[in-house]
Amino acid sequence: MRIAAVVGVLALLVGILLVGAFGLFPLGDSPDWEKLARAYGAENGVAAVVLGTRLYDTLLEVMVFALAMVGVRYTLTPLSRWKEPVVPERGVVREMADLLLPVVIVFSLYLAASGHLGPGGGFPAGAIAGSGLLLLAMAKGIERLSRELHEGTLELLEYGAIGGLLVLGVASGLFGVRGSGLLVLFNLLIGIEVTVGTWVVLHYFGSHRGEI
Amino acid sequence: MTASLSAATLGIVLVALGFGALLLRRSLIWKLLGLNVASGGAILFLVALSHRPGARPPLMGYPEGVPSADPLPQALVLTAIVIHFATLALSLAYAISLTERLHTQETGRLEEAAEEEMER
Repeated sequence: MRIAAVVGVLALLVGILLVGAFGLFPLGDSPDWEKLARAYGAENGVAAVVLGTRLYDTLLEVMVFALAMVGVRYTLTPLSRWKEPVVPERGVVREMADLLLPVVIVFSLYLAASGHLGPGGGFPAGAIAGSGLLLLAMAKGIERLSRELHEGTLELLEYGAIGGLLVLGVASGLFGVRGSGLLVLFNLLIGIEVTVGTWVVLHYFGSHRGEI
Repeated sequence: MTASLSAATLGIVLVALGFGALLLRRSLIWKLLGLNVASGGAILFLVALSHRPGARPPLMGYPEGVPSADPLPQALVLTAIVIHFATLALSLAYAISLTERLHTQETGRLEEAAEEEMER
C-alpha cells in the first residue's frame, strides 16, 4: 500500500517534470506589472502584488500566522518546564550579541521601511528581528529575556498589529486609498506581527520541552 | 519562453524525496522533516516558474527592454514560506505534546497507544 502510494506520487512528479521539460507550461511574457506598481505607489513588483492586488490574501495569511502562534502557546503551555538554561552562558556569545544586535535591529527596520522600493518587506524584516531576539536569548538565557520583554505587552503588540492591519486594509479597500505611506505602514505592522510570532515559537520551544 | 529547467528539476526531486520520507518513514519527526523538504521543493519549483531567460528582478530602475521575472509566483512564495513556518511550528508543538502523553514517536505505536487510551 505504502509502496503503491510512493510509486503513484513519483509518477505524478515525473509527469509534471516532463510537461515542464517539453515547454508545455503556458509561460508568456511577464505581465506589465510596472503600471500596477506605480498605481500602488511601489517600485517593487512583488510588494505591489502582495500589498496591493492580493492585499486580502496577505491579511488573512497574517491571521493564519497569528492563529498558529496561539495554537503553539495553547499546546505547549501545559508541558513541564525545562529547569536548566537551554544554552549555557558564555562570554563570547554575550559580547557578540552586544556587537551585532543593534545592526540586526536597524537592518530589519530598514527592510520593513524600504520594502516597497526594493528587496525586503515585512515578512523578512520580522524574521530577521526574530533571529536577533534568538541571539539575545542565547546570550542572556530564554527565561530572563522573557521576563524582561513582558509577555503581556508583546501579546498586546501582536493583536494590536493585527487589528491595525485589518482596519487599514479594509479602509484602503473601501475608500480606495493608495500610496507609498500605506505600504510602509503595512510592512511595519507585518514586521511587528512576525517578530512577535517568531519570539513566541522560540520561547515556547526553548522553555517548555516536556519529558519522554 | 521556458522556465529555468534545472531549478525546476531540483525542486521536483526535492518534492519526491520529501514525499518519500513522509510516506515511508515511521517516526513522526521524520515525517515532518520530509514535509519540510517537500515544501522547500515546491517553493523552488514556483520560483523557477517565475524565471525568464536573461531576466531582471521585478524591480524598477533597470534599463528598458530587458525581460522581467514574473512577480506573481514570487508573491505566492513569500506567503507560502511564512505559512509553512507557522504550520511547521504548530505541528512540531503537537508532536511534542503527543510524545509526552503517549511516550513514543512511531506512528503504529502511537495509534495503538491512542486506542488503549480511548478504551480506558
